[in-house]
Amino acid sequence: MDNVLIALSNLASIDAVITLLIGTLAGMMIGMLPGLSSTMGVALCIPITFNMPPELALILLGAVYVSSVYGGSITAILLRTPGTDASIATALDGYPLASKGRGSEAIGMATLSSLFGGTVSVIILIAVAPLLSKIALAFGPQEYALLAIFGLVTIIGVVSDNPAKGLVAALAGLALGLVGLDSFTGVPRFTFGHSELFDGVPLLPVLIGLFSVSQAFNLCIPAEAGVLKKDSIVNVHGHLPLISDIKRCFRSMARSSLIGTFIGALPGAGTSIAAFISYNEARRKSKNPENFGKGELEGIAASESANNAVTGGTLIPTLTLGIPGNAVTAVFVGGLTIHGMIPGPDLFTNFADITYTLLISLLIANVLFAVMGIALSKYLVNVTKIPGSILGPIILIFSIVGTYALRNELFDVWLAAAFGLIGYFMERWKYPTAPLVIALILGPILEVNFRRSMQISNWDYSTFFDSYLSLAIISLVVLSVAYPLWKAWQKKR
Amino acid sequence: MFKKAFLSASAAILVGTLTAGSAMAADFPSKPIKMVVAFGAGGSTDTMARIFAKYAEKHLGERVIVVNKPGAGGELGWTFLANSKADGYTIGLINSPVVEVYPFTRAETVGYSMDDIRPLVNVVTDPGVLAVKADGPFQTLTDFIEFVQSHPNEVTVSHEGIGGDDHLAMMSFANKTNTEMNMVSFSSNAEATAALLGGHIDAFEGNMSEVSAQINSGTIKALAVWSPERLDAIADVPTGAEQNVDLIAAASRGLAVPAGVPDDVYQKLVDASEAVINDEEFKQELVKLNMPLNPIYGSEYVDFLQDSHDSLKAIWDVNPWVKD
Repeated sequence: MDNVLIALSNLASIDAVITLLIGTLAGMMIGMLPGLSSTMGVALCIPITFNMPPELALILLGAVYVSSVYGGSITAILLRTPGTDASIATALDGYPLASKGRGSEAIGMATLSSLFGGTVSVIILIAVAPLLSKIALAFGPQEYALLAIFGLVTIIGVVSDNPAKGLVAALAGLALGLVGLDSFTGVPRFTFGHSELFDGVPLLPVLIGLFSVSQAFNLCIPAEAGVLKKDSIVNVHGHLPLISDIKRCFRSMARSSLIGTFIGALPGAGTSIAAFISYNEARRKSKNPENFGKGELEGIAASESANNAVTGGTLIPTLTLGIPGNAVTAVFVGGLTIHGMIPGPDLFTNFADITYTLLISLLIANVLFAVMGIALSKYLVNVTKIPGSILGPIILIFSIVGTYALRNELFDVWLAAAFGLIGYFMERWKYPTAPLVIALILGPILEVNFRRSMQISNWDYSTFFDSYLSLAIISLVVLSVAYPLWKAWQKKR
Repeated sequence: MFKKAFLSASAAILVGTLTAGSAMAADFPSKPIKMVVAFGAGGSTDTMARIFAKYAEKHLGERVIVVNKPGAGGELGWTFLANSKADGYTIGLINSPVVEVYPFTRAETVGYSMDDIRPLVNVVTDPGVLAVKADGPFQTLTDFIEFVQSHPNEVTVSHEGIGGDDHLAMMSFANKTNTEMNMVSFSSNAEATAALLGGHIDAFEGNMSEVSAQINSGTIKALAVWSPERLDAIADVPTGAEQNVDLIAAASRGLAVPAGVPDDVYQKLVDASEAVINDEEFKQELVKLNMPLNPIYGSEYVDFLQDSHDSLKAIWDVNPWVKD
C-alpha cells in the first residue's frame, strides 16, 4: 500500500503530468502514421530516457506504448490505413462505417473499447500477474502451433461471403509466408537472389501496400471507376455511439479484453492473433454475424478492446519473469535495465514504488488517450470530407515515406507499391484482402512452431495431444469450425 | 607545349587530390556522421550503437546519426556499409561471428566481402552461456555432459538461429565433448527462455546479457560461461575451462568503415572510439546493460576477425551447417 501511495505522489508532480501528456500525444501520432510502429516509437524514446529519472522514463515509455496501439485505430477507421497489424480487424468494420458518414461513432466505439481493454489488462496485471505468467510458460511450441491454427480459423468467418475467393487469398498469404530463409536449415526459399527477402516478405510494407496504397489509388481514381462511391461520404455527423450500442457490445468488449490480456501474456503469440481471435469470437456469438465486415460496431469493439488489452498482457511476463511478451516490451526491458531495474521479481519488491508508478500511469494514459481521442475525433472525422483527389496523394506520400523509414530500404517501397496494385485489383474483383494478411502473419508462426514441436518430439505427432492445454485449444478449434457448419445445417432443415 | 600542359595539369590534379586528402583529414569530421546498424531499433546491437553514438558526438564534436538497416540477419546493413562512400562519414556496427561467416556460408548470394570492410574497433563481447532450469536435474556441466553422452540426440537445447553464435557454440560443444544433441532453433532469446522455464526444452544456449537477470534471480542455472575468465555480472558461474571444456564462444559487437577510408581519417576514428571507450560514463551505462566491454583496436581487431573466420571456415569445410 505504501508503494501505491509513493507511486501516486510520483505521479502528482508537474514533470510526471507533462511527460504523460507528451507521451500520450506522441504515441497517438506514431500509431496514426503508416509505417511508424509501436516498437519504433518506444525504441526512439529510449535514448531520451537515459537522462531521466527512472519513474519518468517508464511513464513516457508506457504512455507511448498504450496510446500508439490506440492511435492506429483512428486511421484504420477513417482512411482504412491501419498503422500497424494490430488494427487490421478494426479497419474491416470501421471503414465501412466511416464511408457511411458514421466515422465518429466508430471512433467513439474504438476509443471506449481501447480504454476498456487497456484498463482491464492493467488491472489484471496488477492483480494476478505472477499466476498468469506461470500459465503462459505452460505454452510450448505445440500449444503455439495450435493457437496459430485457432487464429487461422478466423479466416473462415471473414470469407463467408465468397468462400472460394477468400480461400485463394488465404492460400496466397500462406505461400507468401514461405518466402525467406528457412529458420531450421538456413536455406533460402523463393527469395530469387534478393537478400531483402531473407527474413521473409516484410509484413509492414505488404500491409501498407494492401491497405494504404490501394486505398490511395481508390481515392485518386474517379468514383465511377473505383470501389468507393464518392457522394456517400457527404453526410458526416458527429454522433458518438448510442448507449444501447455500448450495452449491446459490452459482452464482446469484456470477452475480448480477457482474450487480449491472456494472449498478450504469451511471448511469441503477437498482438494481431488476439485481435483476430476476439473478432471471430464476437462474430460467432453475434445475432447478426452477417453484418461483420460491413460496418458492425461490435467488430470494432472486439478488435480494439483486444489489441489494447494486449498492452497490459505483454507486460505480465516482462515484469514478472523478465521475458518480453513482444517486440515493444523487449525494448522496454532495455529501458528498465538502463536504470538499474532488472525485470523479474525484484520489480515488485525492491523497485515496487517505481513499478507501481508505471502501472498507475498506464491507467492514466488509457484515460488520457480516450479523452484526447474523443475530443479530436470531432475534427478528425472531417478528413473523410476531403476530396479523394487530394487525400489520395497525401496517403500515398505518407505510405512511401513510412515504408522507407521502416528499414531504409527502397526495395520495401517497391514492394508496397506492388501490393498496392494487387490490393486495388483484389478489391475490384472482390477478393478479400484480410485472409491474405491473416495467413501471411499466422502461417510462419504455425510453421516454426510446428517444426519446433516435431524436432523436440522426434516426429511424433502425439506430441500435440500430450497436454491439457493442447487438448483445450484443439477443442476450441473444432468447436469454432463445427459450430457455423452445424448452424447452417440446422437452417437448411 | 601540349606535353607541358599535360604535365602541369596532372601535377595540379595530383596536388589537388593530395591537399584534398589531407584537408579532409585535418577538418574531419566537418559534417554529421552516419552510423549504420544492421539490426532493428531496440535490439541489443541498436542499444549499444545509440549509447556509443551519444558519447562519440561528445568526442568527435559532430552529430552521429544512427540509421537502422535491418534484414537478412545483418547482411543488408553490412552490404550497405561496404558499398558506402569511403570518406569516414559512414561507419557501421558489425557483429562477430556472423559478419565473417556470411561470405562463405552464403557465397552465392552475399553482397559484400570482408575485403570491402575495414574493422575499426571491437567494443562489446557478450559470451555465450549454457543454462538449464534451476530446479531441473542438472547441477553441473559434468552432470549434463554425462547425461547427454548416455542419451544421444535426446537432450533438446535452444539456439537463436542456424549459423548464429549460439548455434556455432553448440556445434563446437558437441565436437569437443563427443556428444549429440537435439538443437532447436528459436526466433528470439525471449521465446527460448520462456520455453526453458516452461520445461519445453532441456537446455538453453544464448548470450549472457539476455539471461543474466534470470540467472541472478535464481530461476535459471547457468552451467558454464564460454569466456576465458568469469564475468562480474554472473560471478558465480564457472567458465567452461574450469570444468574441462575448453570452449570460447561469444557475440562481439564493434565498429567498421568501408575499406577505402584514408588512413588518417581511419586513425581519427580509432582515436575517437578509444576516447569513448575510456569515458567513465560510457562504461557505467554498459555495466548497467550487462554488456561486457572488450576493446580491441585497429589491426588487432582485424586479426581477431581473421582468426575467428579461419576457425569457423575449418568447421564449415568439414561439416557445413547450411545444407541444400
